[in-house]
Amino acid sequence: MLVRAARATDIGDLLELAAHAGAGLTTLPASEDRLLRRLQNVEQSFLGQVDRADSDYLFILENDAGRVVGTSGMLGSAGMREPWYSYRMGLTVAASRELDVYRQQPTLFLVNDLTGSTALCSLYLTPQYRRSDIARLISKARFLFMAEFASAFSARVIVEMRGRSDSAGRSPFWDSLGQHFFRMDFARADYLTGMGNKAFIAEMMPKFPLYACFLSDAARDAIGKVHPDSEAGLAIVQEEGMTYQGYIDIFDGGATLEAPLAQVRAISQSKVLVLAIGTPGDDAELFLIHNRGRTDCRMISAPARMAAGTLVVARESAEQLGLRSGTPVRAVALCNAHASGVPPYEA
Amino acid sequence: MLVQRLSRLSDLPEIQRLAGAIPAGMGALPDDATRLAEILELSEASMIEAISFSGEERYFFVIEDTDTGRLAGCSSVIASVGFSEPFYTFRNEMFVHASRQLGLHNRMHVLSLCHDLTGHSLLSGFFLEPAYQHADGMALNARGRLLFMASHPQRFAESTSVEVAGVSDEQGNAPFWDAVGRHFFAVSYSEAERIGTSRGRSCLAELMPGYPIYVPMLSDEAQEVIGQVHPAAQSVFDLLMEEGFETDNYVDIFDGGPVVHARTRELHTVRGSLTAKVQIGQMLPADDRWLVANQRIADFRSSVLRLAWTPGEALVLDAPTARLLNVSADDIVRLAREV
Repeated sequence: MLVRAARATDIGDLLELAAHAGAGLTTLPASEDRLLRRLQNVEQSFLGQVDRADSDYLFILENDAGRVVGTSGMLGSAGMREPWYSYRMGLTVAASRELDVYRQQPTLFLVNDLTGSTALCSLYLTPQYRRSDIARLISKARFLFMAEFASAFSARVIVEMRGRSDSAGRSPFWDSLGQHFFRMDFARADYLTGMGNKAFIAEMMPKFPLYACFLSDAARDAIGKVHPDSEAGLAIVQEEGMTYQGYIDIFDGGATLEAPLAQVRAISQSKVLVLAIGTPGDDAELFLIHNRGRTDCRMISAPARMAAGTLVVARESAEQLGLRSGTPVRAVALCNAHASGVPPYEA
Repeated sequence: MLVQRLSRLSDLPEIQRLAGAIPAGMGALPDDATRLAEILELSEASMIEAISFSGEERYFFVIEDTDTGRLAGCSSVIASVGFSEPFYTFRNEMFVHASRQLGLHNRMHVLSLCHDLTGHSLLSGFFLEPAYQHADGMALNARGRLLFMASHPQRFAESTSVEVAGVSDEQGNAPFWDAVGRHFFAVSYSEAERIGTSRGRSCLAELMPGYPIYVPMLSDEAQEVIGQVHPAAQSVFDLLMEEGFETDNYVDIFDGGPVVHARTRELHTVRGSLTAKVQIGQMLPADDRWLVANQRIADFRSSVLRLAWTPGEALVLDAPTARLLNVSADDIVRLAREV
């Protein structure tokens, strides 16, 4: 398995992926025109030829046969051209000592607080490849890339997780809130945002804070939760230290996770090491390894062993990276060896 | 004969009897002797002060059945609401959310907590025993106080509001309260009403949501009762509507009932009222119904009479009727025609 930068020539494979992904993967719309424009911008971004405000990175996961089986991406700096909306879950307290009353009322505030953050997006993995280490590779490869090119990214990294919806694409949060303001179903609103149509959010959404008590029970339950299909993706970014701090998606109520970029485990613990070809050993840990390339970036996860400033990998791994022994690479353990969390996908 | 006058402290037992008979949800009076006594004392104090502007005075009117000496009903006018504690209402607002790009145009009905009616005179505390809810009784209890206001404009505000009871059931549940207030104040509507009438409503209102409420997000039951009148208040509401009150702008923060308002001097009874000099004599039998009131303060009297009177001429009253209205020859009375 190999992670590399997406190219305009990937369009056919990506359209096929997007068609299968359905609602929820809003940043990879199944529209050829729009996807092609995105890929052209992605190519320019990898070349370092666009402002951070416009930069958009998309990575491709290839299987060993060279087929596209997954994607991941990030926006260099979200909300610098159009507003980036979130709801912040705040609190309103109604209390009177005289009347012996104390009530906490969760309250949704429409904000642009996350403006400027680097926003992870476009995570998708073909069903038959949904295994923990493959999912970690395609998701975390982004962090290694950010570590290498830190100046191209923001001090805060966020990810909007897909919120709850049923098999028919109905979101309880949307039905109780957005639907009143948009008079359209969730799938269409989601499609419109995917098409880059964001101005309508400001035009149609409520301008004042909303008391959660006016939402349906199902909508309240969906606040800060994620879609079952996104549980694995959530576990992976949680392994890296990203946390839910009360920001949710304005459409489906899904959790937004965040972390200071410098505190993401795979970024802070990654090291530049000299590649050595050898025998990593039977008990070697899986490492995430980056050839340090930008447009020609190649990232893999492979068993490796650190020894005196070198990273010892098997010959096949070096070949996958397209590197010879003695070349510097950036590497980090695929996950924290001491982490006791549940694996993203059950084995 | 029914006559309207201002209350006296000695009316307390009778008023307590009335307060006990007020159905749940009407919220007219606290069923509490101490609070009622305070209201009567405030009313008493309001009468004797030399008043040149509206303040926290409260005029408590009663309807007395002169045949029995019992009280049949009551009503109040607060000279200037929100004087000592804030007066809260929800303002009906309409927001248009539109996107030209998407061809969307969506009107949102919003309720915003406000103090807009601060300083208005407030008609409140309307109650009439069922046996007296005939045309004369209703007119006297609802409109007699307007003649008082017409005669003493310096004591009242330029605008007048009325809180009309909203929808609630016999068990003391109100759909609007359940959808709104209850979230912020975890008690039943009847309990909230009890606290509101005994301790003042502003202490509850201060716990209510400060941000606007988007009506489409409320339960259907709650949406249906916004601006709706309690069935028991419908007849007094209809009388008020004839006065020219505007209904659409404000609703009560607890039960969602209408809070109506108008310019005081534009109220039909105020604007259409006339004055006449009293002559004592023989009253001719007649069918025209007139609401007649003297122009006194503490000795205010009003009644609905059958009169043959031509505006511009003196009003001929026989001696018993003059006594009923507490007037003598050459006094000026104020009249409004009842239709």
